[in-house]
Amino acid sequence: MTSLRIFFIGGLTSYRALFNWLTPWILVPSFLVAPLFQILLFAYIGRTTRLESDEFYVIGNAIQYAAIPCLFAMGNTIGGERFQHTLPLVLATPAGRLPLFIGRSLPVIVNGFLVAAFALVAGGALLGVHVPLSAVAPLVLVVLITSFSCTGLGLVNAALGLRVRETAVLSNILFGILLVFCGVNVPLSSLPDWMSTISEGLPLTHGIAAARRLADGAGLGSVAGLIGAELLIGCIYAIAGYLLLRLMEVESRRRGTLEIA
Amino acid sequence: MKALRLIGIGWVFQLKMLSRSEFDGLLGVLWPLFFATTAFFMFRTTHDSRALLYAALGSSVMGIWSSTSVAASSALQRERWYGTLELVVGTPAHFSLVLIPITLAMATVGIYSMAATLLWGWALFGIGVHIVHPLLFVLAVPVTILAIGLLGFLLSVTVVRYRTAWALGNALEYPVWLVCGFLVPLSLFPGWVRPISWALAPTWGVRAIRQAALGGSPFWPMAACVGLAALYGVVGALLVNTVLRSARRSASLSLT
Amino acid sequence: MAAIEAEKLRRTYKQTSGFLRRRTKRIEAVRGIDFEVAEGELFGLLGPNGAGKTTTIKMLVTLLIPSSGAARVLGHDVVDEARTVRRKIGYVFGGDRGAYERLSGLDNLRYFSELYGVPPKVQKRRIPELLDLVGLTGREKERVEGYSRGMKQRLHIARGLLHDPPVVVLDEPTIGLDPVGAREIRHTISDLAQAGKTVLLTTHYMYEADALCDRIAVIAEGEIVAEGTPSALKSVVADRTVVEIEAFGLPEGALERVRASPGVTSVSVEEREHVQLLLVQAPKGLELTQQLLGCLGDVRVGRVSAREPTLEDAYVSLVTGS
Repeated sequence: MTSLRIFFIGGLTSYRALFNWLTPWILVPSFLVAPLFQILLFAYIGRTTRLESDEFYVIGNAIQYAAIPCLFAMGNTIGGERFQHTLPLVLATPAGRLPLFIGRSLPVIVNGFLVAAFALVAGGALLGVHVPLSAVAPLVLVVLITSFSCTGLGLVNAALGLRVRETAVLSNILFGILLVFCGVNVPLSSLPDWMSTISEGLPLTHGIAAARRLADGAGLGSVAGLIGAELLIGCIYAIAGYLLLRLMEVESRRRGTLEIA
Repeated sequence: MKALRLIGIGWVFQLKMLSRSEFDGLLGVLWPLFFATTAFFMFRTTHDSRALLYAALGSSVMGIWSSTSVAASSALQRERWYGTLELVVGTPAHFSLVLIPITLAMATVGIYSMAATLLWGWALFGIGVHIVHPLLFVLAVPVTILAIGLLGFLLSVTVVRYRTAWALGNALEYPVWLVCGFLVPLSLFPGWVRPISWALAPTWGVRAIRQAALGGSPFWPMAACVGLAALYGVVGALLVNTVLRSARRSASLSLT
Repeated sequence: MAAIEAEKLRRTYKQTSGFLRRRTKRIEAVRGIDFEVAEGELFGLLGPNGAGKTTTIKMLVTLLIPSSGAARVLGHDVVDEARTVRRKIGYVFGGDRGAYERLSGLDNLRYFSELYGVPPKVQKRRIPELLDLVGLTGREKERVEGYSRGMKQRLHIARGLLHDPPVVVLDEPTIGLDPVGAREIRHTISDLAQAGKTVLLTTHYMYEADALCDRIAVIAEGEIVAEGTPSALKSVVADRTVVEIEAFGLPEGALERVRASPGVTSVSVEEREHVQLLLVQAPKGLELTQQLLGCLGDVRVGRVSAREPTLEDAYVSLVTGS
């Protein structure tokens, strides 16, 4: 029960902290303009190269936008704590790590979801892409599961972030890898074999594939396999990330490098 | 002319500053590279080598804009942070002559990204960069850098009122990549977008670079580039006066 | 013509807070200041933190536009002729910031001399001279981020003199410096005045103002409460005596009782390590010691003495309005 409280209260604090510095001047450009233009950019490149349909790019980039914040949420949470020098304090508490950090990341996850929804609607409207109404609910499910699996990868990222000083560089490299490998804009069939093999082991890949099928009118049952794969990948990364986090934490405490890393 | 000397010395000074900052030098090169890679894969499906070269040249300029847009919009905030904004405003030099070297230096640093992208395209995708007019190409690149630097200058002045201006600069990254035709021919856009593209100097810079490489006439694009750059400079310089006066009135030249 | 003239200078700040319901507060930092500094004079603006010194200075060096009133430097208005004023004024402020830390001191000086329009030939001569003046010769090629606070301060002074301005304004130049460093800076400042420059100095160190300045204006809460030579200001309290009482822990209400005590003109407390030093001002001739001790009650008392007032006491008296 305590874990649940930590989960929600941590989330609420994070939300308020988010709003303290969040002004419309940050909100609109970062969360509305950027994702929309990412969709437009790739959709137009798609038109130039006559590769896939507009819908392909709208779905791919929108899902990516929902999931990417989850990837960074953990890393930022930890980075933020380190920046304020409260990381040792936080880690010294007996609170369970997982609910604590996930709770802190909750607003970001919700935020990503809303941004993606906007991008999907706006981008779709601009490009004349329509998603059948029946697909909306299953899509929401797919987005949630994809966000979860990205959060899992995010835990790994966060753990590494305890060690590496340049967390921003690491996170951005991760973003780039996902952009190229996971079929966001490049269909897996157009990638060399070794790359598409790696793609199968990354989050986003299956989720995006499932979302595209759903948008084409497929039923939830037909994408169950893809959803399951995404879920499984998420769990594996989450467990790996959690273990890595504990390992790093213990090691940092032993070496006394928690602050500096 | 004193103004040119000031810009020249300022530019060298700012380059020195950039070379010593933890300014994600690596990230500045990597970030556009990921997008370029995605573009290369997409263009490769056309099996058209000219199209690939088109993409390589266009995406190489992406880095020049990226290294400018966010940094330029936060340039004044950074100066405020160093405590030097007040000192610099307190000198008799016109502030635009201080700010232009800053954004020019940022654009200049983008040349690393340009080289890296072209090298990457050649090494991993076999995109041979055969340049038809090498001398004009070598001229087109600094002209593009100049144009982007001055666009950055205009940006830095217009957003100075907002403490979170970096967000605006960040948001402009993709739009410029798209609308200036780095990877998409302008003919694909609805008619009303065309004037916007034409008003942005990077459009002409990329066109000049491509013409010089693929064999066309880069003369008019370069002239348009230079003309627009001059226009940005003049408009920015006029804005600077207004902006500074307002800042002196509202006491926003320092952090406290 | 006066070198610096301030006429009914006023500066108000607006502070907004809150996210959805914005609340605006108006803070009057400077409320109508008048003073004049003659050419070649070393003038001090003395006051506690938050009194409005820095705001006044920034208005004079054209970085802030006054809310009302006017100021002139060598006859040029600071708002309308800002560019001309900037050519004639050197601005030095204390503190850690104010330089491009990643570059060397020399780079910084070269850059700023370009901004000040100093001809290259003159730069070649003057920069080494200035480095020598402030004692940074030999260290100029190192990055500023490696400088000590004192060195940074000295770099600021060199920067402020690059264009050989006739008027130099220094805002708390010795703040945060060790005594040796501070003394060196003060020496440099008085040399500047000796060389014929007009120097305006702000400080909250009394002895600094006393030692350096020809004339002082005491500023408190945005207004000038006194102006004159150091000795003239001391005479404000000349007819007083100061009783110093060391107390080990002041009980509740003791301070108020002392203040309310007949004959007492002002009271201030200085916190030392284990004791509080009570400084009570009263007219000369009044024998108040017993009365004061009575006000303090049962508290343990250390040294008790009476002495002549200093400029510091005059300052306290002026600032607290007593």
